[in-house]
Amino acid sequence: MKKVIVHSERCVGCMQCMAACAITHSKTRDLFSAVLETPLPKPRIHVGVGLFNEGFPNRCRHCDPAPCQLACLPGAILRDLEFDTVLIDPDKCINCASCAMACPFGVLRYHEHCFAPPGKVVAVKCDNCIERQMQGLIPACVEVCKVHALTFEEPAEALKRKTDEVARSVSAGVSQSDLTVGFTLLNTHKRKQIELGRD
Amino acid sequence: MEHVIIGNGIAGISAAEMIRRLDPAGAITLIGDETFQPYCRPMISMVLDGSIPHDRLPIRSADFYEQFKIKAVLGNRVSAIDIASKTVSLENEQTFPFDRLLIASGADPRPINADNLHLQNIFFMRTQQHVRGMLDALSNTRRALVLGGGLVGFKAAYGLLRRGLKVTMLISSGYPLSMQVDAKAGEMIQDELTSRGLQVQVEAHVVGFDGNERVERAYLSDGTEISCDIVVIGKGALPAHSFVPRDSIKVDLGIIVDRHQQTTTENIYAAGDVAELVDISRKCRWVNAIWPEAVSQGRIAGMNMAGRKVAYKGSLSRNVMRIFGLDVMTAGIVNPAPNADYEIMTATDRRRRTYRKLVFLHDRLIGMTLVNCVEQGGILVALLQSETAVTIPKAKMLAPDFNYRQLIR
Repeated sequence: MKKVIVHSERCVGCMQCMAACAITHSKTRDLFSAVLETPLPKPRIHVGVGLFNEGFPNRCRHCDPAPCQLACLPGAILRDLEFDTVLIDPDKCINCASCAMACPFGVLRYHEHCFAPPGKVVAVKCDNCIERQMQGLIPACVEVCKVHALTFEEPAEALKRKTDEVARSVSAGVSQSDLTVGFTLLNTHKRKQIELGRD
Repeated sequence: MEHVIIGNGIAGISAAEMIRRLDPAGAITLIGDETFQPYCRPMISMVLDGSIPHDRLPIRSADFYEQFKIKAVLGNRVSAIDIASKTVSLENEQTFPFDRLLIASGADPRPINADNLHLQNIFFMRTQQHVRGMLDALSNTRRALVLGGGLVGFKAAYGLLRRGLKVTMLISSGYPLSMQVDAKAGEMIQDELTSRGLQVQVEAHVVGFDGNERVERAYLSDGTEISCDIVVIGKGALPAHSFVPRDSIKVDLGIIVDRHQQTTTENIYAAGDVAELVDISRKCRWVNAIWPEAVSQGRIAGMNMAGRKVAYKGSLSRNVMRIFGLDVMTAGIVNPAPNADYEIMTATDRRRRTYRKLVFLHDRLIGMTLVNCVEQGGILVALLQSETAVTIPKAKMLAPDFNYRQLIR
């Protein structure tokens, strides 16, 4: 089954994934009208800033077993077996934040959204764009990522590709060992800027 | 294989589900004191405060026992366990043989020593039945007295305040939730509650009650009296193990178990509020009677009973609650004993109205308190549980932009 795979070394911190996620989870699904909606649509993927300004797309891993599902008091968190996705039922959610206490990655947020009962603050996280997938589309964050920091593929294929890259890079006769030259340069630049700023 | 589980709380239910998953053919008998469907105990305080209706308490379907092929024996307590013959006896004299036994009997409200406890409208708050009784009494009550500033007392006071009653809380520590938070956070919580009308009296305890059938006043140890028409006793919960044979099964505050949730007698396990096991941050045995522990321990016990020798690293105390305009999340050791090895770091952000406290032992996080903006607290809980060495500057963990990325290389 295809999954969203994160290649964090390629993230440049542009946050387009956050915008696409929020727009997809809005009523009107269009940027210009989405920003005028009430409640304001919010992203379920969060680009966190690293210690040296590196970007990182932090999304729900749909863990199995899911700590949030086990912690949920009213049993509002369930697993959809067809898409291997952990989903929160906003009608059952009691906004107790037990899921946030259990999530090792900090991907839960609490706010109103257009798929929840109006006026009710509920727990919100990535839903693997399950509705888009049902229509044969790929998750919105993946579709919009220009640097392929987010891909939608069979984990085994992604692993094979990575293994091949590493194998090639350590083969005899290879002079360059950096697998992501442009990104390494960008992050080195960011880090230097911070370090210089400190002096 | 005969699996017998004592207790239909979440520890017992989680164990039963795990056993059934791993052992489709084994017999599972579940003995429960409460006859109500399996429900979420922490949610009873939300029924009290009115935010959820009573019918949202059940957390399994009505045909749960049938679906999982569990024989449910409800409405009775266990009176004894015969180790030699491997049988469990109930108070009504029914007996059940077992190959594997799980004691998940939970905890009972700690009783207090006071006169006239028989008067009406004096409640404990442990079961959905207790809260039902409290709601029935609400219509002709106006002044509530809550004994205890711990989790139960606190939730009772909060719920009754939200129901519009005048509430006085009697606590023996300097501030409420003294086991969960430090003085600073405790003060913030107390201020939030007193601003909404709660009265707090410190270091006072009740010696007796008075009234004509229904409670009308409470007499305190200092000679004063408080008029009240409803009382909630939240003075803690004691692990319920009076039926456990002490010569075979070692018991301290709770039933002592090893990393496989097994007691000192082979094939007998314990999980949940009744169990006492190593606490990851304290590094000694502790009873952490909280919902997520009952779930984890029940699952681990179930795995071991079904033949998979899974080890549990240990329990961790943790809590999250929303109190009017304040959100508080705590975990681990939040009030460390004075010790030069502990490093305590705090940060208060007046603009964001946040308070953070982190307790380190060398490079290991052993406790934390977060007031407001608590969404990413799970990252810290995971650090507490995994005991991963913190290699980034510790002050970064107090900053408002702290996130998962900053912990990975």
